[in-house]
Amino acid sequence: MTMITILLLALITFTTRYLFLEGRLPIRMGAKARQFLSYSGPAILTAICMPIIFIKDHHLNVALNNPYLGAAIVAIIAAWKTGNIYWTVGLGMLVFLLYSGLSL
Amino acid sequence: MKKVSHPFYSALGKGALDMLPLSLAVLPWGILFGSLAIQRGFTWLEAQALSAITFGGAVQIMAVELMADGASLFTVLFSAFVISSRHFLYGLTLRERLKTQPLRWRLSLGFLLTDELFALSGHRRAYKSRLRLFYALGAGGSFYLAWNAWTFIGIIAGASLPDLTELGLDFAIAATFIALVVPSIKSLSVLVAVLVAAVCSVTFELMDIELSLVFSGLLGMTAGFTVAQWERLQ
Repeated sequence: MTMITILLLALITFTTRYLFLEGRLPIRMGAKARQFLSYSGPAILTAICMPIIFIKDHHLNVALNNPYLGAAIVAIIAAWKTGNIYWTVGLGMLVFLLYSGLSL
Repeated sequence: MKKVSHPFYSALGKGALDMLPLSLAVLPWGILFGSLAIQRGFTWLEAQALSAITFGGAVQIMAVELMADGASLFTVLFSAFVISSRHFLYGLTLRERLKTQPLRWRLSLGFLLTDELFALSGHRRAYKSRLRLFYALGAGGSFYLAWNAWTFIGIIAGASLPDLTELGLDFAIAATFIALVVPSIKSLSVLVAVLVAAVCSVTFELMDIELSLVFSGLLGMTAGFTVAQWERLQ
């Protein structure tokens, strides 16, 4: 029974991922729809990472000793100045580790 | 001398390398899931199967909790559908690029289309050439292997490992997404989309709104689209 449920769950996750990649699906997207969807990357990625930075245990944390916030600001500046994924993640993580070490 | 590597292999490797921070960032969650499943009475095979074929972190943790509590099949499946619904947006966004690709590419990359793979799909030419398809396969495939390895560690080590989710490895997710989003802000409309999504996501999350991610994404997209239309009228 558990295995059947797992298979059904797999069917659901796969369907939500694959459905719109199927060419035979009768969906035509016009220029406006495509432009609307062009914002999905920046908007969704932002919506995934902002709660990680700003929320701690169901509460807003904008204190100066929040290592996520301090390191995120450094990462944003690094991304803006270098445009390089390795520099941004490297510097961000470094600041994050120093910061959380200091605030412990 | 080693044979000069085929460009497809280097594309695979580049994808895996770009995915590395995200693969490592989910280590605590993979371990947490594996040990949670065992504690909730699942067999190791069922726990591993959830990672191997369902392959969706939030869906897996929810399913294990609900099934252990004896929730109805409908509740489990419906909750999985709600959590998974954000993937429709990813499929729609990538549709024009992927719908004409051969079935084997669509099936494999569709299966691997997590938040993390979508995050690495923003390049102008993403999925448009064989090399770019191999890049995506390297990124998505390496993430799949990592997630299953972390699950396996959680299954074996179980409760003997400390909770690593408080370690802050999830900052790597935030840093990677910042690295991908910030350079893409090249116009006022994208900036507005990002700011609206940011404010909405934090607000909705604090209000415990289900589908917070989908709603804040859609609102950000609407805001960006509206600004672009307005700019065209000017």
